[in-house]
Amino acid sequence: MKESDPILEVENLSASTDNLPILKGVSLTVYPGEIHAIMGRNGCGKSTLSKIIAGHPSYNITNGDIKFLGENINSLEPEDRAQSGIFLGFQYPIEIPGVSNLEFLRVSTNARRKFLNKEELDTFDFEELVKEKLEIVKMDHAFLSRSVNQGFSGGEKKRNEILQMALLEPKIAILDETDSGLDIDALRIVASGIKKISNAQTGIILITHYQRLLDEIKPNYVHVMSDGQIIKTGDSNLALKLEEKGYEWTDNFIKET
Amino acid sequence: MEIIEKIKTNKSIDNLTEIQKICLNKLQSSPLPNPKSEQWRLSNKSKFSNFLNYSVNEKDPIFDIPFPKTSQSTIRLVIGDNCQTNFIEENFSIKQISEDKLVKYIKEQISYFDQNENWSDLLNLSLNCTKNILGLKINGSEIPPIEIFSHASSNSLNAKTLVIFLEKNCDIDLLQVNLGKDNSSLSQSTFLCLEENSSINHGVVSYGENKSNLLNSLNVIQQNNSEYNLGSLHFKFNYARFEIRIKQSKGNAKTNIKGMQITKKDEQISTFTKIDFHGPNGFLDQINKSLADDKSHAIFEGSIIVPKIAQKTDASQLSRNLLLSNLAQIDTKPQLEIIADDVKCKHGATISQLNEEELFYMRTRGITLTEASKLQLSSYFQEIISFIPVSQDRWDLLDKLLNEN
Repeated sequence: MKESDPILEVENLSASTDNLPILKGVSLTVYPGEIHAIMGRNGCGKSTLSKIIAGHPSYNITNGDIKFLGENINSLEPEDRAQSGIFLGFQYPIEIPGVSNLEFLRVSTNARRKFLNKEELDTFDFEELVKEKLEIVKMDHAFLSRSVNQGFSGGEKKRNEILQMALLEPKIAILDETDSGLDIDALRIVASGIKKISNAQTGIILITHYQRLLDEIKPNYVHVMSDGQIIKTGDSNLALKLEEKGYEWTDNFIKET
Repeated sequence: MEIIEKIKTNKSIDNLTEIQKICLNKLQSSPLPNPKSEQWRLSNKSKFSNFLNYSVNEKDPIFDIPFPKTSQSTIRLVIGDNCQTNFIEENFSIKQISEDKLVKYIKEQISYFDQNENWSDLLNLSLNCTKNILGLKINGSEIPPIEIFSHASSNSLNAKTLVIFLEKNCDIDLLQVNLGKDNSSLSQSTFLCLEENSSINHGVVSYGENKSNLLNSLNVIQQNNSEYNLGSLHFKFNYARFEIRIKQSKGNAKTNIKGMQITKKDEQISTFTKIDFHGPNGFLDQINKSLADDKSHAIFEGSIIVPKIAQKTDASQLSRNLLLSNLAQIDTKPQLEIIADDVKCKHGATISQLNEEELFYMRTRGITLTEASKLQLSSYFQEIISFIPVSQDRWDLLDKLLNEN
């Protein structure tokens, strides 16, 4: 019996794109302070699940519900979900040429602050805030004057994602393969950033292929996805077994109910 | 033939000038452009005839410039306004070209005209008496920015001509603003001559109101080691054509062009460019952007001509287009005609829609769809706007555009 209410409840979720079913009944509940890891082969539906929770318009929910803080958000626009505290860290952060990173971060932060009834920040106050948050991901101030993610290395893009997470202070963060393309040092910086931002009131879903991120951030639960379903859930030892035996080991699992 | 009769019998034109007579004479043989020719085949016929429908008006009403002049150093001129055009200072001079010299120069230009390609200029010069032709000779250094306005009056067809000689070693920032009015047609022809080592940052901003039409022709001749930078923007016209003809007469010159046209409703705006390299080591970097919404139509046709004499030419022409509606239409055709064998020339065209993944990314950060689209458009516009020599405090062009769109 948990003491607090769940942040996120995904209940028997099925979804498709262009009439092609991708998710086939996913259920997942995240309580405050929990870290969940989702693992699985490429194409099993991990990224799709993250996009659907964030509200990607290309996917249709065909069955089931997504509840955030007890409210059904199935038909909520992506920006409303983000403002209310859902954060998606992209596997491939999008480059937006011509849009200044600083301005982008400021507009996003103010949208979230407005939702939280906090005072919106002008350019000067925002510079102060962002300077403090840059420390978390050890990013240079120069990145702010460039276009969003344009010309950033893979590692810099991922750090920029975590910087956004730090500024938006989400209730739940879904980080889609945040560890891919990172060298050992960058992985440590990103992982330590995630740990600093998360707390007993927030939830995190880590989508990953590798144990190395889970060595840095220990999950409470590990879920294995296959063909649009969660077929097994366990503790952090499940990830270690996967690392040792590979996904073939999960092929004979029957979906756990 | 109707247009010729209209000009000949127009009461507001007192006496036909020598130039008008020459041009009218040329128009007799082809009173209208050839609709099958490459330059005119996509032109909307009913809109074009609407352009010619208005009565010719030589006498302009008083014109109020729509934005204030904030810097005293800027020189501001209105074509047809009898304003002061002679500025003689310690470092520079801007003098009006004498009528004799102007006529001689224009006659020489007409002799090179191709009847179909220069039809817009022929029309312009046949409509125009001396009052609406502004000729300037500029030399010296530390020349203040120059703004030149051309405008149409409601329910009229107005013609304005600008001729500028930029003398050796001269640098200027020139902003040309063409303004349309409700139910009006404006014919604007510009002739720029850049002497050796001279340079122009040239902005051409044209925008109209309800049912405004524009024929805007720009002819540039560049001498050795000159640099011509053009930033242009055309929007809010029922029908507009922007024709750019640039000739690097001896090569060894640099041309940079960044242009954009924005169409909405059922508007049609087109840009035609012809860049002629007449000597070696010429350089061109051109990007033309179109943004078409609703049921509108945007057209770009560009040609780069590199004859045998133009060895070592380095030219690039890119057409980038954004379709904002399923009913909008974009035609684009960048072309190269290369005879020289030692050149570096490239061209390309893309047509796309607002990037959905970019929009989703911004929305997952709490930015609304409207705001995200605005940010995307702003980045699309920025590349062109920043190339137009307009100071932000004087005229916030980007805000104007974003609010319009």
